[in-house]
Amino acid sequence: MKKDLRYYWQRLGTLAIFVLLMIIMGIFSPQYFLSRNNIIQIFLQSSINVLIAIGVFFPILIAGIDLSVGSVLGLTGMVSALLMANGWDMWLALLVGGVLLGAFLGLLNGTLVVATKLHPFIITLGSNMIFRGLTLTISDARPVYNLPRQFSRTIAGYVGAIPVPVIIAISVAIIFAFVTKKTKLGRGIYALGGNEEAAWLSGINTKLLKVVVFVFSGLCAGMAGIVMTARMGAAEPLAGTGYESYAIASAIIGGTSFFGGIGNIFGVVVGALIIGLINNALNILNVQTYMQQIVMGLLIVGSVTLDRLLARGSKGE
Amino acid sequence: MRQPLVEMENVSKTFGATRALDNVSMTIWPGEVHVLLGENGAGKSTLMKILSGVYQPSDGVIRVNGQVVERLNPKTAQEAGIAIIHQELSIINEISIAENIFLGRLPGNRGLFDRKTLEKMSAELLARVGLDMDPAWPAGVLKISQKQLVEIAKALSVGARVIVMDEPTSSLTPEEVEVLFKIINDLRKEGVGIVYISHKLEEIMEIGDRVTVLKDGTLVGSRPMDEEVTPELLVQMMVGSDLSSKYDTEDHSAVEVKSDKPITVKVEGLTRADGRCKDVSFEVREGEIVGFFGLVGSGRTEAMRALVGADPVSKGTVYLKGEAARISNPQAALKNGMGLIPEDRRHEGFCHNFPIWKNLTLPVIAKASKAGGLWGLVNARKERQAAAKVVEQLNVRCASIEQPITQLSGGNQQKVVLGKWLETDLDIFIFDEPTRGIDVGVKASIYDIIKDLARDGKSILVVSSELPELLALCHRLMVFREGTIVAEFPISKATKENVLYAATARINNQGVGVQ
Repeated sequence: MKKDLRYYWQRLGTLAIFVLLMIIMGIFSPQYFLSRNNIIQIFLQSSINVLIAIGVFFPILIAGIDLSVGSVLGLTGMVSALLMANGWDMWLALLVGGVLLGAFLGLLNGTLVVATKLHPFIITLGSNMIFRGLTLTISDARPVYNLPRQFSRTIAGYVGAIPVPVIIAISVAIIFAFVTKKTKLGRGIYALGGNEEAAWLSGINTKLLKVVVFVFSGLCAGMAGIVMTARMGAAEPLAGTGYESYAIASAIIGGTSFFGGIGNIFGVVVGALIIGLINNALNILNVQTYMQQIVMGLLIVGSVTLDRLLARGSKGE
Repeated sequence: MRQPLVEMENVSKTFGATRALDNVSMTIWPGEVHVLLGENGAGKSTLMKILSGVYQPSDGVIRVNGQVVERLNPKTAQEAGIAIIHQELSIINEISIAENIFLGRLPGNRGLFDRKTLEKMSAELLARVGLDMDPAWPAGVLKISQKQLVEIAKALSVGARVIVMDEPTSSLTPEEVEVLFKIINDLRKEGVGIVYISHKLEEIMEIGDRVTVLKDGTLVGSRPMDEEVTPELLVQMMVGSDLSSKYDTEDHSAVEVKSDKPITVKVEGLTRADGRCKDVSFEVREGEIVGFFGLVGSGRTEAMRALVGADPVSKGTVYLKGEAARISNPQAALKNGMGLIPEDRRHEGFCHNFPIWKNLTLPVIAKASKAGGLWGLVNARKERQAAAKVVEQLNVRCASIEQPITQLSGGNQQKVVLGKWLETDLDIFIFDEPTRGIDVGVKASIYDIIKDLARDGKSILVVSSELPELLALCHRLMVFREGTIVAEFPISKATKENVLYAATARINNQGVGVQ
């Protein structure tokens, strides 16, 4: 078959941008930027965004969206902290208050999307506010400290030189890459994203899979909530506010099509790393935080425009 | 002497190698309702598109009010007083009735529009079409029949002398049809020429002054609707006396299937939740090909979608091999050995993001997955092997199975959409318009595939609006009209005339052509 520009862009475009950025930074500030510590730092700072981005990738893959991931992070981080503060066993608190609660919130989103047939944008725009409101209510808008020492030491600790959040993010990425590539579930989700009606008539249970993608999204945000709380040593009621935009940006920069059916986990992870890398680079170059936002915005618009232009070039319609 | 409004003389139109219209003439006089009749694909819409300036004729002359018009385009056609009211109405719900009528031609100057004048002019037009509504209201409040009247008002507002109405009654109640006919009669008295396209013979008998019949792009005849014209005559003109057409001479593998073969599908009283098909009952035997004919919108496709659980059902039972089956979604249908190959490839048939092989194995994966699709691994190597086999078996022309399906031609895409089901071990295949929009060569091979499946003992249901196709392919024919099955023919008793008659005429409901 004809391997055109789009073919390579889809598979390697994001990685190319990442490498290019690394080279540029390497030229600007070789001794600091390319140091082992700084590279580990980039991965560590990206780990939360990587987790959320992997989750939000799934609703985007079916041409939907999940705007509630930032609030899911806040609520799961808060609930697991409250459980621990109230004497629950740490692992049980993390499982129930973080992982399972996150999945459950995703289940709510997905069920509402299927039941109401409304666009996920509307449902998750609403649930985003609801989840944040719940977080503020149960915490009385105050941070929760006095968490068990063991918690931060484990979840925000290191294994050798590698930070645990990085290990968690990489493991989750590997698991979901496997799900998308090697399972019938993954194939079904791609089919649903490509053509819902064709998938439905081919016997794919599209209604169930629609719920599943939101469960994945909530699950990942729940794990991100745990990592967030562990890294800060406390649960902030406003933690994760606005994180959805970085997660969505990561997926898009990573080559996920907003029209559904196209994208992969590897791209999303690299997309999230690009955002982390740029933040890190701008810090090193002493660029104001406000400027960083402008750069980030330009990057999102630029990369998606490029993607669209290439898509138009090869579809021939 | 009166002058005709429009004369189209020896008009031809070719698209590439296809001759869509061949030497067709049609004259529209003031004050007449001119019925344009023909089967799907007879050339009616091509002719009307030429009249409205959408297409340029390859040959022939068009005269408007006696003047030869050289290059008609949509704008000059409108200026010449020709208006078309399409079956799909173009009313915008969110703006007012008055704004709809004068859309693009709002009165006023310097970028502001004069609401008072607009509403006064609109009120006059609405009075002419007998619609008692405040023109300031949003058009969304109107019923379909009223929207149609607004379309007529819109046509009158540009000073239309010829109004083409394409299937105007397809979604009207009998009472609303009466209202429309009254307006048509008023327009007729005002000297407007109406071109009336419809398949409903009793309506045509009532309203038509003259009828022009097209068949396969040629003119069958044009005659006044006098007392000699009967529904039977009209059907005969549409079908043509040419019984030796290429399909009919084809070897009829199809005699009836013996009644000792077991019944594989039995449908009793199938009714959709949205009412688009009601009380549909039929049965199909092993190795039998049953055709479902009906005009567009008669409920055939809707019934098939309901049968495989793709759309909600409110009533009815489906028996598969004698046992009542609960089929609430296509996955359940698939697990019960039944699959639907849909009519609209692009929107229902394939996933544009998949290469050929992933499209081909999708139902296999769906069928083999556990827990509603949540569990199970894919085996890309096995899938590719299976896909390569199907591609070879169906002779799909492609560079490789890795090729994106969007790069294939329509006919080859259709082969893939069809091939998807061959590896799933189905007992019952439902084909909806299996050969729409594909060329003759591929058509023949698709017929062969269908016949082979039947010979292997599969039960086949074929929905089509191409009657010759069904007559050549099927053992038995069912005819849909207005959401339900109105007639059944063994192939030996089915002719183009009686099947088409059953599909179009409301008269003589029961058992046309059946003993």
